[in-house]
Amino acid sequence: MPSDAIRAALIKRLRISSAIADEDIAEIEALPISVRHFPAEQPVVRDGERATNCCLIADGFCARSKTIANGKRQILSIHIPGEIPDLMSLFLHVMDHDLATLTPSTLGFISHETLQRLHRRRPVVAEMFWRDTLIDSAMFREWIVNVGQRPAPARLAHVMIELRERLRIIGRLDGNNFEMPLTQEQIGEALGITAVHANRVIKQLRQEGIVDLHRGRVTVLDERKFLELADFDNRYLHQSPTL
Amino acid sequence: MPRFHFDIHENGHLTPDEDGRVFADGNAARKEAVLTGASIARDAFTTGSSHRIVVDVREEGAPFLKVSITLEVEEA
Repeated sequence: MPSDAIRAALIKRLRISSAIADEDIAEIEALPISVRHFPAEQPVVRDGERATNCCLIADGFCARSKTIANGKRQILSIHIPGEIPDLMSLFLHVMDHDLATLTPSTLGFISHETLQRLHRRRPVVAEMFWRDTLIDSAMFREWIVNVGQRPAPARLAHVMIELRERLRIIGRLDGNNFEMPLTQEQIGEALGITAVHANRVIKQLRQEGIVDLHRGRVTVLDERKFLELADFDNRYLHQSPTL
Repeated sequence: MPRFHFDIHENGHLTPDEDGRVFADGNAARKEAVLTGASIARDAFTTGSSHRIVVDVREEGAPFLKVSITLEVEEA
């Protein structure tokens, strides 16, 4: 992967959500990034580890999660190219959850030291990344509401629509089709239900002609019903600098 | 490791599980059946879509166990 492709999705996203200036893009383009390839379902940084880098997803899907004493895992968020899911490790030094790949991924590691130097030189970039972590926590608030209050079919539809909104920003939509490369186990772990229940919900949404999830791709069958079921309002994603 | 199928009856309407799922042992499959029944019942009872959930588990095609959950509300 050429080095500008590593940063392409990040820059695309920052242009839309933060209206980043050209001279700051040049700074991000100049950041030293060490690229590593990870297989699917591989830990990137573990709960309890001390992080010295932030990880930019160049390609692939990742998830943050936490595992409780009985071994049950809760997926907390799904991450796509252009995102830096462990940006908070710049200030919160020891990880309080796991970051792992879902699919084979290309990850770019930026050292904390490099980022700190950039922030001191360009406070505007620091503000932009600050905003990024605030949007991250807005997404967690929505995730809590979703898992705590919505019935399982609406819960899945909401996660799907959010993913679609974020994929749209980085130009990864394909007609009425988009990627959601999670297994039934992982969907269960994200929604707080069993894999068998997740399987049933997926079937139900297909049978009701709303949405079809097949081999990691989502095809929308009825846009109106899909939106209605998910009860989705994209305000919490703050996808423009004025929001 | 044995393969288990989880057929679900909601108000008598059957959703068969064609694919099944592999578990380490019968105990793990039993836990999955109970949790699945409870989580489907939570949705069904609170949205009012049904009042009875049955998770009918087959092991390699043969009956293994059945979890039944019924909503009963007694008004005073």
